Amino acid sequence: MKHIIVRWQRGVPVYAVPKITPFFVFLCVMGAVSIVLSAYREWAGLGPTTGMNDIYAWGIWKTFNTMVLTGLGSGGFSVGIAAWIFYRRDLHSVMRTAVLTSFVAYFSGLVALGVDVGRPWNFYQVLMPWTWNAHSPLLEVAVCMPLYACVPLFLENTPPLIERWYYTWPRFRPFIMKYLVPAIGSTYPYVIALAYALPMMHQSSLGALMLLGGSRVHVLWQSPFLPLLYVWAAGFLGYACVIGVLMVSCLSWKRPMDMRILGVLARIMSWLILTWSVFRFLDILARGQIGAAFDFDRFSLLFWLETLLLVCPSVYLLWGGNRRIPSRLFLADVLIAVGGMLYRYDPTSFAFTARPGAVYFPSAIEVLIAAGYVCLAIAAFVLAAKYLPILPAPFSGWYDMEHYARVVHPDWKLEIHDLSHQNRPNFAN
Amino acid sequence: MTWSRKPKTTVAAHLKRCGVPRREFLQFCTQLMVAAPFGLAITDKATAEEVAREVGKARRPSVIWLHFQDCTGCTESLLRTSKPDLADLILHVISLDYHETLMAACGHQAEAALSQAVKDNAGKFVLVVEGSIPTKDQGIYMKLAGKPALNVLKDVAAQAGAIIAIGSCASWGGIPSADPNPTGAVGVDDIIKNKPVVNLPGCPPNPYTLLGVVFQFARKGTLPELDELHRPKFAYDRVIHDHCPRRAHFDAGRFTLQYGDEGHRHGWCLYKLGCKGPDTHAGCSTRHFNEIPDVWPIGIGVPCIGCTEKHLAFRVPLFDLVPIHDATPPDTYPPVHTSIGSISAAGVGMVSVIGGALGGAAWAAARRFRSSEDEAAIIEARLENSDKDHPDVEGR
Amino acid sequence: MELTRREALRSVISKCVPVATAALSLPAAEAAEMPPQPKAPVGMLYDTTLCIGCKACVVACAEANDLPRDVSLDGLHQAPEDLNAFTKNIIKLYKPHEQSPDSFVKQQCMHCIDPACVAACPFKALWKNDGNGIVAWEPSRCIGCRYCEIACAYHVPKFEWDMINPKIVKCELCQPRLAKGYEPACTSVCPTHAVIFGPREDLLSQAKERIEQAPDKYFENRVYGEHEAGGTQVLYLSHVSFEDIGLPDVGPAAIPARLKWQKRIYKFLALPLLMYAMLASIMKKNWIDHRREMREEEERTGLRPQL
Repeated sequence: MKHIIVRWQRGVPVYAVPKITPFFVFLCVMGAVSIVLSAYREWAGLGPTTGMNDIYAWGIWKTFNTMVLTGLGSGGFSVGIAAWIFYRRDLHSVMRTAVLTSFVAYFSGLVALGVDVGRPWNFYQVLMPWTWNAHSPLLEVAVCMPLYACVPLFLENTPPLIERWYYTWPRFRPFIMKYLVPAIGSTYPYVIALAYALPMMHQSSLGALMLLGGSRVHVLWQSPFLPLLYVWAAGFLGYACVIGVLMVSCLSWKRPMDMRILGVLARIMSWLILTWSVFRFLDILARGQIGAAFDFDRFSLLFWLETLLLVCPSVYLLWGGNRRIPSRLFLADVLIAVGGMLYRYDPTSFAFTARPGAVYFPSAIEVLIAAGYVCLAIAAFVLAAKYLPILPAPFSGWYDMEHYARVVHPDWKLEIHDLSHQNRPNFAN
Repeated sequence: MTWSRKPKTTVAAHLKRCGVPRREFLQFCTQLMVAAPFGLAITDKATAEEVAREVGKARRPSVIWLHFQDCTGCTESLLRTSKPDLADLILHVISLDYHETLMAACGHQAEAALSQAVKDNAGKFVLVVEGSIPTKDQGIYMKLAGKPALNVLKDVAAQAGAIIAIGSCASWGGIPSADPNPTGAVGVDDIIKNKPVVNLPGCPPNPYTLLGVVFQFARKGTLPELDELHRPKFAYDRVIHDHCPRRAHFDAGRFTLQYGDEGHRHGWCLYKLGCKGPDTHAGCSTRHFNEIPDVWPIGIGVPCIGCTEKHLAFRVPLFDLVPIHDATPPDTYPPVHTSIGSISAAGVGMVSVIGGALGGAAWAAARRFRSSEDEAAIIEARLENSDKDHPDVEGR
Repeated sequence: MELTRREALRSVISKCVPVATAALSLPAAEAAEMPPQPKAPVGMLYDTTLCIGCKACVVACAEANDLPRDVSLDGLHQAPEDLNAFTKNIIKLYKPHEQSPDSFVKQQCMHCIDPACVAACPFKALWKNDGNGIVAWEPSRCIGCRYCEIACAYHVPKFEWDMINPKIVKCELCQPRLAKGYEPACTSVCPTHAVIFGPREDLLSQAKERIEQAPDKYFENRVYGEHEAGGTQVLYLSHVSFEDIGLPDVGPAAIPARLKWQKRIYKFLALPLLMYAMLASIMKKNWIDHRREMREEEERTGLRPQL
């Protein structure tokens, strides 16, 4: 069945590929290495295992794994707002991928945050509101992020799981139909609304963290609008990540790509980036710091690098049919992702001149742990995509999989409907 | 002296029986504590009383003292102890069973005393060796009762419980080993390889160092912690320079340039006169000599000659300057913005590897996209119009 | 029904703007945002023209606070190069080259009136005493996030990187000594009274007197800490520029004031709840449409619809 025009309509598990591949093994090994190294960090302390020092007190775990990668993992939030709040019906098919990407990115970011704190035994205070310093942006992040990851994001990710149980666990089916489905039906709107309200809070608080840096954050980044710029950046980074994940998944698992939906995502992303860039420029102008952009020192070069990495691919994608051509979309998307990550990372590191003579570079252990957590996130995504109906495909893809499942698992009772309806292909088997 | 065939009584009992006042014994123990403030198993006690209790329990250790190519200076140094004085020491505190300078016997009687002492205390006595051992020409350059020193040492050491080489000569060769070393003089541990030898270099060394080692052996049966040259760390771990009373002058740049000049009269640092203090491991700066404070070379205005060190004493000219090993104290005012942090090569390598891998993967993916899109592009452009008719239903 | 962008925007503006303006534009609200001033702030006055660099204060501080030896430089000499986990107070020398004017400078916690570290700390582990204004660290509340190190403009709080039970180490003005009626250790041993202790008011007036009596001796004829960062309890008089001795130009606004919009937006969680209410109401409407469309799809294709 060769389809020239592909329309993504629903999630379908990745079938007919081996569950364990060499790449998956590599990811698990990297993940295991990072877990062992994390245990070592807990045993040995932060000094011997990281390159952090008293001036650059935050290394890559807080800044990269938590601030940058959860920005990248904001797909559930940003694509979700377009799909649900603005009710773009066509984006519903990619929502499952988006929320799963968010889920793994957030959990890996939260684990990194947990490993980074020096006195984790006092972290229980996060459950006791009377101990909170409500004005601290870091508190807001520490409360809101786990809350988001564990409640609305988690609940958004349960439908694929329930769907799998429905098809492969017949004895559980009545319970699902009687209790779970109605519960989802009645609570879901509130859960989803929470899933968009919370990220707005903590993604902006991540930006607010560097407000206290004052003039140590270079003027081209330091702005009273830093929280707004950060949450906006989380928005378009979420799109970039979802586009990238979809394209790479379809490429590696030989699934057809729906360039129309990807094009829509790319268009939304590009407009978000362009308006964001304009806002940022206006903000710099209003603060009278536009001269710094032309100093041609390392800060201005960094600023232009970020801007060009974001703006040029966006303009390119808005131009003609570039969005429909996979290789161009992919490269532009990668550049945008890099540019966006760079923007969110700079105020904590490259644009953060704490004191003359102070340097920081992550140690090998730090890098391995950070990379390992990312690998764990990717491994979780890969595994989930193979077992659960997440990756979007046309309806025929579902029927193909059903046929495949019947052949490979004859014991599964896949018969679900007594509606023998029109348009349903008849597999004579 | 007596070599009793009876089992040895404890030091405390013996002292009491002989009427040595406890106060004198306590003074001796205090001296021990000063000589060995730490690192000696019996003196890491807080008070002299406690040390006295420890030492008192030791059985009077049997000590056999052999002289080879020596000047007897180390013995003389031992003679200059007054707490206890020598008589008390050799009669009551230790059992000095053979010592050519101090024993009454001579001739065949002396020879018999040695063999008897070795036989009676085999495996338990402390062998103290003073003086170097000549090895050239089968060791004929020093003979004891007709036997070359080499053989005497080997025979006696075979039966010893512990071997202490006192003085620079016994430790590494000393003066006799100075160029051209015509007798092939070497230290004890160049000959005795199968047993631990404690070296107490110095010309002479502090006698309380010796007594500390002897008592630890007598009480605990162990030897103190030794460094790589077998010197006890409690006495030889520091260089003179690091505990010299004139160090402040060194740090401030005040040097004596000539004997008798103004600096010399003011007690300034003697480094420029060739003081070997910065390169000499010894405790002379804290444990002076003859039990009179400040009676030690630098204290009386004479630069240290490095008598404990094989590479310095009797080799390097007295007026030659030595290198300073440990850093001089750092510039003690740090700048307002001190540098902090470092860039690890491993970290840089790791990041570049990961960055390169991701970049390569992205490029490879883009290439695969390009190859698949060629056919799809043309067809899709043609079929675009059918989009509007059937937006959601798949074309079949 | 698809919600158009225009409708969404209209909905937002109609609901949020009146509430926001009402809640936030009150001038009283701004004043209420300032943290309470300490009742009887104490501090120190350090005069670089009197300091001889003897470092008695460094030694006294280490002794009074029972700090371990700081041999971080070469493992042998106790010569701290900077404030760190073993050093709460340090003397540094500003002397870029042989012929330049030079100055000693004593560095320790500034005990700001509105400290950035206190505002940053998520669990109030760093807290300001509302009586004497001393900023202290409470181990039972600290999670070791090191946000205080990022927030402090003077780079004062230091972290015990090499310990499994790491603490934040900084000057706390010798509170145990103050409780017994003594002065802080550093001020009590200074031989030239270059650093003195007392109520902030008195120190400020004394500093101004010194400036008056010796015009142009002190840099810009002013005291550092009178207004900087909203005022600090440790005041500096210097004969070289403040920047040179490591006192950054932080401006007169308190550093936590940068968070004022954050505070306003989250006050009573009003705006977040409002945002949530708005999102939920839109979602409810869209959900009904979604359910209907799912039913239609099921009828058309026979496949149970996905969420």
